[in-house]
Amino acid sequence: MVRYLFNRLGQSAVLLIGVSIIGFALMHLAPGGPLAVYTLNPTVTAQDIERVKHQFGLDQPVYVQYFKWAGGLVTGQWGYSFFGGRPVSAIVLERLPATFELMGSSLLLALIIGVAIGMLAAVRRNSILDYATATAAMIALSLPTFWFGLLGIFVFAQTLGWLPAGGIETTGGGGFADRMWHLVLPMLVLAFVLVAQWSRYTRSTMLEILGQDYMRTARAKGLRPARVLLAHGLRAALVPLVTLAGLQLPLLVGGALVTETVFSWPGMGLLFVNALGTRDYPVLMAILMVGALVVVLGNLLADVIVALIDPRIKLGHV
Amino acid sequence: MTKKNGIFDEAGPSSEDIKSNSADASGGDKMNRREFVRRSGALGLSLPLLGGLSSAASTALFPASARAAMPGQCVLGVTQEAVNFNPLLYVNTGVETSVEFIVFDALWKIDPTGKFIPNLATAIPDQENGGISKDGRSWTIKLRPDVFWHDGTPFTAADVIFTLETLMNPKVAVRSRNGHEHVDSYQAVDDHTIQIKLKDDFAPYLVSWQKTSIIPKHILASLPDINTAPFNTAPIGTGPFKFKNRVAGSYIEFEPNPKYHGGPPKLSSLIQKYVPDQQTLYAQFQTGEVDIYDLQGIPPLLYAKAKTLPGAKIELSASPFVEFIYFNCGKPQFSDKRVRQALYMAVDKKGWIDQVYYGVPIPTLSYLPPNHWAYNQNLKDPGYDPQKAAALLDELGWKVGNDGVRARDGVRLAFTMSTTAGNKSREQAQQVVQQNFKKINVEMTIKNMPASVVWGDYTVKSEFDTLMVGWDALLYPDPDYTDRIGSKLIPAKGGSGSNYVQYENPEIDQLCAKGVSTVGQTERKAIYDRIQEILLEDLPFAPIFAYQTIIGTKDRVHGYKVNPYTPISSWNTNEWSVS
Repeated sequence: MVRYLFNRLGQSAVLLIGVSIIGFALMHLAPGGPLAVYTLNPTVTAQDIERVKHQFGLDQPVYVQYFKWAGGLVTGQWGYSFFGGRPVSAIVLERLPATFELMGSSLLLALIIGVAIGMLAAVRRNSILDYATATAAMIALSLPTFWFGLLGIFVFAQTLGWLPAGGIETTGGGGFADRMWHLVLPMLVLAFVLVAQWSRYTRSTMLEILGQDYMRTARAKGLRPARVLLAHGLRAALVPLVTLAGLQLPLLVGGALVTETVFSWPGMGLLFVNALGTRDYPVLMAILMVGALVVVLGNLLADVIVALIDPRIKLGHV
Repeated sequence: MTKKNGIFDEAGPSSEDIKSNSADASGGDKMNRREFVRRSGALGLSLPLLGGLSSAASTALFPASARAAMPGQCVLGVTQEAVNFNPLLYVNTGVETSVEFIVFDALWKIDPTGKFIPNLATAIPDQENGGISKDGRSWTIKLRPDVFWHDGTPFTAADVIFTLETLMNPKVAVRSRNGHEHVDSYQAVDDHTIQIKLKDDFAPYLVSWQKTSIIPKHILASLPDINTAPFNTAPIGTGPFKFKNRVAGSYIEFEPNPKYHGGPPKLSSLIQKYVPDQQTLYAQFQTGEVDIYDLQGIPPLLYAKAKTLPGAKIELSASPFVEFIYFNCGKPQFSDKRVRQALYMAVDKKGWIDQVYYGVPIPTLSYLPPNHWAYNQNLKDPGYDPQKAAALLDELGWKVGNDGVRARDGVRLAFTMSTTAGNKSREQAQQVVQQNFKKINVEMTIKNMPASVVWGDYTVKSEFDTLMVGWDALLYPDPDYTDRIGSKLIPAKGGSGSNYVQYENPEIDQLCAKGVSTVGQTERKAIYDRIQEILLEDLPFAPIFAYQTIIGTKDRVHGYKVNPYTPISSWNTNEWSVS
């Protein structure tokens, strides 16, 4: 097990280096760059742009820029944002809690509701409930989230006035209740889409399990239906569900680009959208690397947990 | 459920009904499946009903606006985020200028009539008060002795000199030198007097200082690198408000500076709130979570609706930004000015303004908005005349080919037009213009790119055919436009300016030089009248309209004055108050 973990971590490091090279190259070789924002500013002359370009080190060859950046990363110096000159690590870290709050609560809500709906739909296959949830899931997955977001704001903030139209808290600071009050709408919008995924996934997994011999055995033993379903059915369904959870783990730090923008949620998604718009390379690279790291770790974690739940799976003997 | 109930409790005393409803809908712990389905069905039915509730009744039940409006606090809503608060370094005009005006001061500021009013200086220097020498090149500026930085340190001439030195320091990534590159020498005569000598004639120099906020020497001088100074995100200025804190991606809070030399602010708290989505910002303005909707302003699409909002004032503010079609005069299609004239006549400017911008912008025939003092009121609009345009092109030998597009000597009258991808209004406008050109057998292809691409080398190195772009003068409100039309200022030809259209005209060069060396406004007006006349004839860029910003303020806000000469109207925040 320890050796397996070592191997996997080693592979991950190589993978991350590859990601950083490809990401850095793509970003710098794509046309345009951070100086376009300066061009748009009417008070900035071409002379000024040349001067700033030199200041940012953007007049050096890309590989030189890469080694400077990578060297900094290794020594814990992630560089400074081109806009504001703040350390990138501080910029990224201050956005994590907001994204964690939004994505964590949506994922948790979606997981509970999604698994419940999925199981009910599987048990009651071809019932009205099954069709209704299938239709709802279809709608949730096919319509864009920004539309749900704007609709939510229109109905609950503009028309009814029950919930705030975006933001993480009342400006100037609010209490815990105030934060929760602001969380409701973006959380529900995100959870709506995630519930759709989880319920469809759970339903198909459960359908497979319901037909298994051990389920029939459990029922034949005279166990209560709820116990059969939860202790025998859900337990078996956990393996694929944990894998899905592992895959969705990166959302916790990656955030939601569209939803965060619509609800002015100050998380990683919004930071990424802004950094992309201005091509703030140091910030973009930091987000990319943190994202890649979590994807790698999420997969590893899922594999380990699956091995713990399912005694048939042995790590390192694949 | 407790959390939710807690939230509803705050909303007001009359929320009892909703509370019991929501408790009912989620059901007890022991609800069986059938009941769950039945109840969910009921919930599904009740949702549309909720949506149909009259807004008046529900606002009475849930007074969200009462919650948002804190006494003494004013919330300014913006759709971009300010991230750099160093007035010399930031690049995002408007949203970051707003912070600059709130926290910092320049030597003088500009009021809504375009007049300079003393700020850190005791008077505006001119030849009468001896502040400017007869030849216009020696400046003496007296500073107020009663100004303090937010940390209590007195403000002196050393700070002004330090600001000037920082601007010229090659190691600092300042956005623009604001015309201070014309300075030959400078010195502090005493703690409250500075003297500056210019190396050439430069009439717009007053604007240079209006645009240069003073930064504190005692904080920045000892730092190894100003580019990454903590000061840039936690600024200390002399302005009406002190920077209090910033919640990244969310808002910036300012607290009043009771010792402000222009009189203490009336607000107890000023907040600049970042709401990236225009629709959401509009919703927040409507619900009262935002008091002032400035900067880009309310989208023209919502103008008619906004005017009917109760408890809010909606006004138009002339913006210095003029929308152009930029012709790259270096491309064979556009080398002849008569082709550009024909294309200008083919564009239905009124249709563009009315269909895309709901008639809000003001038509202009110059690079200046028509309300500017230097605008040439005698300019004659060649008008919208496709027949005449087609005839002119025929006459010039641009004949319609088999493919339906005009061509001459193997050059097709076909080109691309670029602007920021995703800018919906511009994308619609491009379609209008594309149809206009199609009528006279000219082929225009839309080629939009992300902002970071289109405004990079593609613009600066003059790689485009045409651009759809909105720009103002370099040192607006000074009418000097040398940077964009001078023949020595074409970056694609090694020049150091912003003449991206590659326009060359010796007469214009001469007039521009004369314009910046002439001091009196009347004398200067004659020069700029002529420049505008020539530009309308030569059309290196086709002026379409001057933007107007639709600004919304809640009735509770007082003292807010729209200022067309500043990028955002937070120039007098110490006079703002809320009721």
